[in-house]
Amino acid sequence: MKNGKLHKILHTQWFTLLVVIIVISVVTGMVNPRFFRLANIINIFEQISTLGVVASGAAIMIISGNFDISVGSIIGLSASVMAMMIKAGVPIWVVVPCGILIAIVCDAFVGFTSIVFHAPSFITSLASSSIFKGIALALTSATLQTIFGKFSFLGSARVFGVVPLMFILGIIVYLVVYFILKLTRFGRRVYAIGSNPQAAYLSGINVKGSKMLFFIINGTLVGIAATMLLSRIGAAGASTGAGIEMQAIGAVVIGGTPISGGKGGILGTFLGVLLMGLISNSLNMLQASPYLQELATGALIILAVAVSALSNRNGKASM
Amino acid sequence: MTNNEPILSAKQVSKTYGGHCVLDKVSFELHSGEVLCVVGENGAGKSTLIKILSGAIRPDSGIIGVHGGTYSALNPRESMQLGIATIYQEVELIDSLSVSDNIFLGNETLGRFPLVIDADSQNKKARQILDMLHIDIDEKMLVEDLSAAQKQNLQIVKAFHQEARVLIMDEPTSSLGVEETRSLMQLVHDLRGRGLGIIYISHYLEEIFEIGDTILILKDGEQVGLYPRADIDVNFVIHNMVGRDASMFFVRERVPIGADQIQVENISWKDAVKDVSFNVRAGEVFGIGGLVGSGRSELAASIFGMVRKDAGTIRISGQELSINNPKDAIKNKICFITEDRKKYALFDSMDVQDNIVIIHTEFGKSPLLKQKKENRLAKSMIDKLHIAVDNTEESVISLSGGNQQKAVLGRWLLNDATLFIFDEPTKGVDIGAKEEIYKLIIELARKGKSIIMISSDMPELLSMSDRIGIMREGRLIKILDNQRITEEDLIHDFIGI
Ligand SMILES: Nc1ncnc2c1ncn2[C@@H]1O[C@H](COP(=O)(O)OP(=O)(O)OP(=O)(O)O)[C@@H](O)[C@H]1O
Ligand SMILES: [Mg+2]
Repeated sequence: MKNGKLHKILHTQWFTLLVVIIVISVVTGMVNPRFFRLANIINIFEQISTLGVVASGAAIMIISGNFDISVGSIIGLSASVMAMMIKAGVPIWVVVPCGILIAIVCDAFVGFTSIVFHAPSFITSLASSSIFKGIALALTSATLQTIFGKFSFLGSARVFGVVPLMFILGIIVYLVVYFILKLTRFGRRVYAIGSNPQAAYLSGINVKGSKMLFFIINGTLVGIAATMLLSRIGAAGASTGAGIEMQAIGAVVIGGTPISGGKGGILGTFLGVLLMGLISNSLNMLQASPYLQELATGALIILAVAVSALSNRNGKASM
Repeated sequence: MTNNEPILSAKQVSKTYGGHCVLDKVSFELHSGEVLCVVGENGAGKSTLIKILSGAIRPDSGIIGVHGGTYSALNPRESMQLGIATIYQEVELIDSLSVSDNIFLGNETLGRFPLVIDADSQNKKARQILDMLHIDIDEKMLVEDLSAAQKQNLQIVKAFHQEARVLIMDEPTSSLGVEETRSLMQLVHDLRGRGLGIIYISHYLEEIFEIGDTILILKDGEQVGLYPRADIDVNFVIHNMVGRDASMFFVRERVPIGADQIQVENISWKDAVKDVSFNVRAGEVFGIGGLVGSGRSELAASIFGMVRKDAGTIRISGQELSINNPKDAIKNKICFITEDRKKYALFDSMDVQDNIVIIHTEFGKSPLLKQKKENRLAKSMIDKLHIAVDNTEESVISLSGGNQQKAVLGRWLLNDATLFIFDEPTKGVDIGAKEEIYKLIIELARKGKSIIMISSDMPELLSMSDRIGIMREGRLIKILDNQRITEEDLIHDFIGI
């Protein structure tokens, strides 16, 4: 079969995504030519950078058969603490590592409880989420910590005057995660554990240790995302980052990684994130109501799940 | 017993996967009271054929006839309503319900009050059905407490209760022991007497010739022929399915046996393994026989660190090993090829190559993947074991059952070890491929490896083992030198009478 490869590419989810992305861009651009302006495109990329970093972590989680829905709360806690430290005059080079460390510790806690109590991480992260949020509320006395101008470098810097630094950071994270997943033995473990943890254990893989590491990596990425968000917004509170975990999981799923794990990758996730950012931007451009954006995000995820269920159908039935 | 109107027929049924024709114009007729056996190599299309009949997949062309009606395709629901019951390898019962609840699932007997199940009358009826079919299971037991064989029987009972007219079984005996296989044969015989039509797939040709009325031979998706059993013999079948002659009873080559290499002392684990000790020499194949549930797999699991043994030591060449998990075991050059492929070995969502190289990569030196080398190793195993696969990137679940087994074997054969523990190594593997696997095992022995081979397949145990250890209720009750032992002797020892 000569066109086997082509046939395969045409049927992958990321190819479909790419087509959808192009179609939406063209349509929006025709209705509102401002869409294609450089400023707007830069704006889109800036907006999706943080989501991209969180989604990269979510991809590792989901492929390995885990879920972390405490990400939003962790960002809230980490960003709040960083903002408070900055307000108190602690130098940035101390603040940022501390913020990232907090995120790592939080995520490690989620992973640890899941491993030790043999509980699905979905549950332990759900529970931990309230804990983190509670801590953040208590620390900040439920007020917004503003740091305008004190840490805006990261959020506003432009490389060569055009490309947002945040976007470059996001791309670096994608590349690193791609490298881990596709080219390292550790990445192979992510897939193996997500596919069949018992078989992975019997193949000599340290399943518990690896799982702990997945959470630590995710925590690192979440910490980076919190830093990016803080710098861009210039303020933080307990609800900073709220809901981003769902968007991230949505982007991963839209990108063709099944919720059941063991499969998928970062290329699809990147396109999933792009599609999410694009839709929200398009709706803006088309002057749709902001409520519609929430609705569109949810509808998109369901659509993605439906597409992957339908394309799996033939394969599954013949198991 | 047979009349002329078929209860199920297929005419020119074909199925293609990605340009690859896996079933090419297959036709047959099944009558009431007939047992139709389907035989063929791994990947010949047997499971595909029955999946078409059970409605799990759509054929590309051809006609399925049921009770005079004709269909171009069925869905699972239609198939069931037409009285076709399919028993897959994976048990489809509800663990947390009782035996009788499972039998009546979906058409419960209601009592005086609406929506309330009349458990007593269900239990009574279940007992009657079980008695009628001579099945010795307590109807009130929970399904999770049943053995694999009992679950299989229960599925058949359920099909019978739902008035199935056609019963389809895909390798029903591959995880059963000798006694259980016998009782299954008996059950099939009974059902046939009651007028059911039965389609039976198995790689055990003894079984085929014991219960089959007609035999359908498939090769590479093509129908070699449909023969009345009386017209053909085993050699004819083997020759036509494998394309060459192969013997039902493998005659192995002898290889030199060295000194004691593996010493297993006083291993105990829970109630399943009780104080087991034995030695295996270099180049020796140590067979372990016993009934299903006698603790054989649990013994292997304790040696491999898959479970934490309560007591005992394992030595290789005199050196005591500390094994707390499979990782330690593999590092200490022990391999364990488990019996339950789906549960403990296959990575469903990964491709064939990744499935084959997983252990090699895990224990390699480099933390980076070596794609080219992995590809080469995977290909070498695919060639060596004749795994039927288009390319190394094919998803492992699209392989036929026997080929999946070969892929799992390949994974371990890439690993250099001193002790290889095989638990039912040829489960689901065709007769030609069995010979290949036996030769590979002997090849390992020739290199001075020690081999422990657990098997419920008597000819396999007798033809391959240098010595045979017999387990009963968790104990290794005796070790026999494999000379002039017969199947009957072994069965006596297994049961203990
Ligand atoms: N979903 C699928 N996609 C691609 N190929 C498939 C798929 N399912 C089955 N095949 C191919 O169809 C062929 C026939 O498979 P099938 O499972 O019917 O074999 P089988 O005769 O039951 O073999 P075995 O004795 O090993 O169980 C195999 O070559 C297999 O690789
Ligand atoms: Mg099969």
